[in-house]
Amino acid sequence: MRKQKFLLKTVVYVLLLLGATITTIPFLYMVSTSLKGQTYVFEVPPKFIPTDPTLQNFSDAWNSNNFQGYFMNSVFVSVLTTVIVLISSSMLAFAFARFHFRGKRFLFMIILLTLMIPGMMLIIPQFILAKNLGLLNNLWGLVFVYVAMNIAVNTFLLRGFFEGIPRELEDATRIDGGGFFTIFFKVVLPLSKPALATVAIFTFLFGWDEFVWAVISINEPEKYTLPVAIATFHGAHQTQWGLVFAASLFAIFPVILAFVLLQKHFIKGLTAGSVKG
Amino acid sequence: MEKDLYRSKQVIFFILPAMFFFLAFNTYPILKALQMSFYQWNILMPSESEFIGFDNYLQAMKDPVFWTSLKNSIIYTTVTVPSQMVLGLFVAVLLDQSIKGKAFFRTLYYLPVITSWVVVSLLFKYLFNSQAGLINYILKDFLHIIPSYINWLQEPGTALAVIMLLGIWKGVGWSMVIFLAALQNIPEDLKEAATIDGASPIHFFFKVTLPLLKPTIAFISIMLIIGGFNVFISVLLITGGGPLQKTEVLLTYMYNQGFGNLNFGYGAALSYILGAIIFIISAVQMKIFNKPVDM
Amino acid sequence: MFSKRLHLLSLIMVLLLLFVTACSGEKTTNETQKEADAQKKEVTLTFWHGYNPVEAKHFEENVIPNFEEEHPGVKIKSVAVPYDQFYQKLITSISGGTAPDMIRADLAWVPQLAKLDALEPLDQLMDDFNTYKDSVFPGTLSPNKWKDHYYGLPLDTNTRVLMWNKKMFDDAGITAPPKTLDEFYTTIEKLSKEGKEWGYAEGGTGGWNVLPLLWSAGGGVTDENMTKSTGYLNSPESVQFLEKLVELNKKGNLGPSILGGGLGTADGYAQGKYGMILDGPWMVPIFKDQYPDFEVQMSLIPEGKGGSVSVVGGEDIVLFKQSKNKQEAADFIRFMLSKDTQLSMADVGQIPVLQDLAESDYMKNHEYYGIFMEQLKTAKARTPHPEWNKIDTAISEAVQYALRGDKSPKDALDEATVKVDAILAQ
Repeated sequence: MRKQKFLLKTVVYVLLLLGATITTIPFLYMVSTSLKGQTYVFEVPPKFIPTDPTLQNFSDAWNSNNFQGYFMNSVFVSVLTTVIVLISSSMLAFAFARFHFRGKRFLFMIILLTLMIPGMMLIIPQFILAKNLGLLNNLWGLVFVYVAMNIAVNTFLLRGFFEGIPRELEDATRIDGGGFFTIFFKVVLPLSKPALATVAIFTFLFGWDEFVWAVISINEPEKYTLPVAIATFHGAHQTQWGLVFAASLFAIFPVILAFVLLQKHFIKGLTAGSVKG
Repeated sequence: MEKDLYRSKQVIFFILPAMFFFLAFNTYPILKALQMSFYQWNILMPSESEFIGFDNYLQAMKDPVFWTSLKNSIIYTTVTVPSQMVLGLFVAVLLDQSIKGKAFFRTLYYLPVITSWVVVSLLFKYLFNSQAGLINYILKDFLHIIPSYINWLQEPGTALAVIMLLGIWKGVGWSMVIFLAALQNIPEDLKEAATIDGASPIHFFFKVTLPLLKPTIAFISIMLIIGGFNVFISVLLITGGGPLQKTEVLLTYMYNQGFGNLNFGYGAALSYILGAIIFIISAVQMKIFNKPVDM
Repeated sequence: MFSKRLHLLSLIMVLLLLFVTACSGEKTTNETQKEADAQKKEVTLTFWHGYNPVEAKHFEENVIPNFEEEHPGVKIKSVAVPYDQFYQKLITSISGGTAPDMIRADLAWVPQLAKLDALEPLDQLMDDFNTYKDSVFPGTLSPNKWKDHYYGLPLDTNTRVLMWNKKMFDDAGITAPPKTLDEFYTTIEKLSKEGKEWGYAEGGTGGWNVLPLLWSAGGGVTDENMTKSTGYLNSPESVQFLEKLVELNKKGNLGPSILGGGLGTADGYAQGKYGMILDGPWMVPIFKDQYPDFEVQMSLIPEGKGGSVSVVGGEDIVLFKQSKNKQEAADFIRFMLSKDTQLSMADVGQIPVLQDLAESDYMKNHEYYGIFMEQLKTAKARTPHPEWNKIDTAISEAVQYALRGDKSPKDALDEATVKVDAILAQ
């Protein structure tokens, strides 16, 4: 029996390691390529340990084409999007969780409907809207559209969380004469830190990774965000792969770091939608 | 419950900020797209756009590339969704055992999920290079599975296969995390009771675990199907819809029609067709699972 | 209950839709024009170009500062847009009303952009246009004409020549590059080693890629007046050439890059996988930069029934109607066509377009321009038609169908001819 259990465990570990290898090999190879000069990126046989390792690609990527600017653009867009989404969707969620008002169900249904509509579907009219509002080729244009794309899902997430907060906690504030804003800011929000953290992380990640709207609406390189910049490093005829991957690593490193540090919140955010929240 | 809710005009202040963004950048575009889909939309001079009724929709019905792109989107979805779910559940079950390094494995499996589509798409393009790519080298010179190098991205079939592989590789971690959370919600005493009864683990899995996972399966499958029809960046960056538009999916075709050929009206019609497809599938699915997904 | 609400929902949707339709009258650019006129002091002109990093650096450090010194109050914003995304980005920004003032346009784009009514006719804007018109090579000027006006001026010119890998030639015991097309075909076969090395590689199947060899083989696209393609694109010579290409591909002698797979032509060539490629003068500095130990060998396109005919490339400078500072832009155009600027950009691989410079010591003593100037004498331009990209797609698809074995070369070209004829007849 014991032996059997040991065998089973071994099988589990072997399978897990096999799967982990498949998921990580591409990343390892990306790191390896980023350390190679152009002469070596298409070596046959391919080598995991670079023949002539160099950090040239990293310094080239970091210094070339205003890359630090792209980095800052991405930070700007992601942070602002996150802040606006946090404020507006938590307020809307509070309205849904605590108020009765006319048209509530209708509004809720519309938001539910838009959750089903793929964001890409709206790219054409959003382009025209942004054109009329003078928001093309403008980082604020990115922020506004990203906010709109994230409100629905985060409102759902937060509404669920707010509903789970016992009402008695608010009653004391009400009796003390506190208004709705006091309840919202002083009672509900502080109790919702985990949920807010989740919203923040996922919204930030969205802004950091979004590509399609950015590539369509921004046309001056100094306003590129990281994904757009990385895609432009990749040319149709000749690509300096080492450079592409060095730039990519700059972009994904903060994300991986955030994931490792904030893993709990990530998992919560992911599962909040599936398990009734 | 309902009667406990506050009734106050002040609610408007809580609704307004979100509704501003939502109406302007979400609701308005949805309606605008519907309007545009009935026009031969002139982007340079919108006032001169010509109303053509359902012509854009009818044109799609007669457009062979539309059918190719629809077919590819369906193939992509039917291949990648079950694969991600089965693999994700499998890994989740493995991780649900009492093993060491759970967090470590979870992080590794989740790595592709948090990496941007742009990066992983370019990475796969590089790995699947036919002459000097890592994949061909491993398959031919290391594992000796294939007799000669495969021209992955040159043939529509294999190019689509690469795109689907990427979709699965990137998505397994997501299903895994959600399944894992659901598995951990299954009460311990249920498992213990089963062990005492002498039920085999496999029997237990199919008779107890799987039925308990039904809501999770419903949720994951709906999200993945929507995601499947949303496939875009990987196709755009890996094949661009080529060769000969044979790997075009609905969204790349819509994108090319709009921003490549300036057929914005036709592009809007295509997006509405896609929206309708997704809506119908989601509705049917909710019927099948007999209960709307609680979000 | 549910269906009732759905009815209500659809009703509201329809109402909102009407509202949207009613409000969708869109703004004109007149107001913004006035605003710009008001503040005339400091003017910034945006100039998009597809210069590669080496060229862009030179342009920004050596050309722009000179112009800004000569024209106080005028600033040039240099925007490097990757070449393969350039046209799409440009079209998107024109339709979004955010077009740049000027761009460095591929000569094949000028008629297309002129037809979109996006370009300012330079012969009307610049009173000294004729001076410039007469100073450049006539061949580089002609693509700028659409209907009765000139919409641009040439900036640089180029063409593709045969580049061959000396080491691979030595290994195969071949002493000299092929002079005729027949030699070219046999050389390809000799250089190829199945699945490892390929005699010849091309980067795609479009006009830019296949026309040099097609023309040299005696084939064509249309008649001179662009009225028909029957008898040109599907002439026996065109068909024969494509058959040869298909045959070479079947034997595995063509690099996979022609169908979009494997290594790009430049990397494969420099790494000794592709024996021969066709490429332009800008590649010489790039090879020097990325493959310092590699030595480029160049010769003329192999001669066939049609001669040794390459394709004319090059870029033009055009000005957009959306620009608010057209006079300042015209000054920049004049500056870009001055001798000093032309010579300066020649240092980084941009062949000058001024006739005066052709006989200059600079050009005569240049390390590698000689071969390109020689090839340019017989080079031809791609069909200067506003729907060139559609013609190009028709050619590209026909060659792909044939190479993939989906259609016979004759059928593929016959079908393309029908398509091109229809485009020309419009």
